[in-house]
Amino acid sequence: MAKKTGSEETVTYVDKSGKRLDGRKADELRKIKVEVGVIPRADGSAYVEWGQNKVLASVYGPRECLPKHLANPYKAIVRYTYRMAAFSVPDRKNPKPGRREIEISKVSGEALARAIFLERFPNTAIDVDVEILDSNAGTRVAALTAASVALADAGIPMRDLVAGIGVGKAGGHLLVDLNKAEEDAPDAVDIPMAILPNLGEVVLLQLDGLMTQKEWEESQKLAFQHVKKVYELQKEALKKKYAVEGNSGDMEAGARAAEEGVVE
Amino acid sequence: MIGLNENNAKIVVVPGEVVTEERKKLGQHVYLHQGRIYSDCLGMARIDGDSASVVPLEGKYVAQAGDLVVGVLISEKFAGYTTDVNHFYPAFVSKKELPENLKPGTIVSAKVAHVNEMNELELEQSRVFYGGDLISVSPVKIPRVIGRNGSMLEVLKRGTGCSMLVGRNGRIWLKGSNVGLAIKAVEIIEREAHLDNLTDRVTSFLREEGRKAEAAKYA
Repeated sequence: MAKKTGSEETVTYVDKSGKRLDGRKADELRKIKVEVGVIPRADGSAYVEWGQNKVLASVYGPRECLPKHLANPYKAIVRYTYRMAAFSVPDRKNPKPGRREIEISKVSGEALARAIFLERFPNTAIDVDVEILDSNAGTRVAALTAASVALADAGIPMRDLVAGIGVGKAGGHLLVDLNKAEEDAPDAVDIPMAILPNLGEVVLLQLDGLMTQKEWEESQKLAFQHVKKVYELQKEALKKKYAVEGNSGDMEAGARAAEEGVVE
Repeated sequence: MIGLNENNAKIVVVPGEVVTEERKKLGQHVYLHQGRIYSDCLGMARIDGDSASVVPLEGKYVAQAGDLVVGVLISEKFAGYTTDVNHFYPAFVSKKELPENLKPGTIVSAKVAHVNEMNELELEQSRVFYGGDLISVSPVKIPRVIGRNGSMLEVLKRGTGCSMLVGRNGRIWLKGSNVGLAIKAVEIIEREAHLDNLTDRVTSFLREEGRKAEAAKYA
């Protein structure tokens, strides 16, 4: 769709028929797939494919916090590790954690900490490790989406799931879920957000680029509207684990309401 | 009763999902926000008369006073042993109650005497278990292994002829001639803990296996 005029390259980010570079509509998400419980030895785990992004998240804990000087006697601490695999980008990435990874780990960990009932587990640590296997813009929101599903899979008490969404602007158009080509636009604005969908709280918001107030308000509306779709996929993936599993397809048996007591 | 949806199936809820909008007493694994009751974990919604709660499907063991736990000795101290009880921290078992000097790796059971506000345990009434096997299951599924008033445990013991000790911390000690069958049965319970008529299914599984073993004997 990119038109070449002379030596200058101008890109049409949204064409006349309302289609984007990769054929999506302006407010269309990439294809998202969420899987739960992919790492058997972890307390909780999840795998998310978000367009080309591939993210693997694992959760260990709450467990004893070592080294002990990091422990907080009033609540659990969240140790979130965001790492990009060396092969996750076109050129090899130095596997040493860089400035960017350390910063993303910090803000994402704080976003999750808001959702978890940390005060129930004093002196412990919850380790969340997220590995980016393949990337094409929007990995931190995909990582948070996977991490919160993994936390739920670990049975850690949370206020709400954390759902990530990217909104922004490219070529003067407001877009949802920007990919790499759109993020590299000269006027690009990228706003990764993490939201607690049921409580309507924003737990992560970063922005670079310039926007008018009107664009900003519109983009927020888009984010809250489309994060619901991400949330539904997370919910569906978690429920699928218990829907028919081990039921040999016999839903009737499970549905028979002869209720069995749970000894407490 | 467990909450049922329009298809009469149990309602699985995720963290942050509304359990009920009515005014109810708060049970376990729910919290109140702006007048609505939300779940705080992945589990099954449960509305019992005037109280709402969620039965968790995942989660770590959080000790309560009075729990029976099965632990493995890690190391010896002056007056006792540090013991792994599948909790946040290792617990201490006093030598006073134990008959002799024990090696690391020995299986012991104990009652939780007290849990402090830091989730640290105090154990009492410890006993040693010689031989046998130790298996782990998810601690949230232990109530189903025991069953209502111990009914499931009774089925397991009778069907396999094993002696069993079920710890609240998700550890099960087994000893007997047919441990393999008992482990298979426990695996079924763990896999299908959220489904109905579990006791019936385990009973029929054990009966079927027993019949097979009987047939193999005469073949």
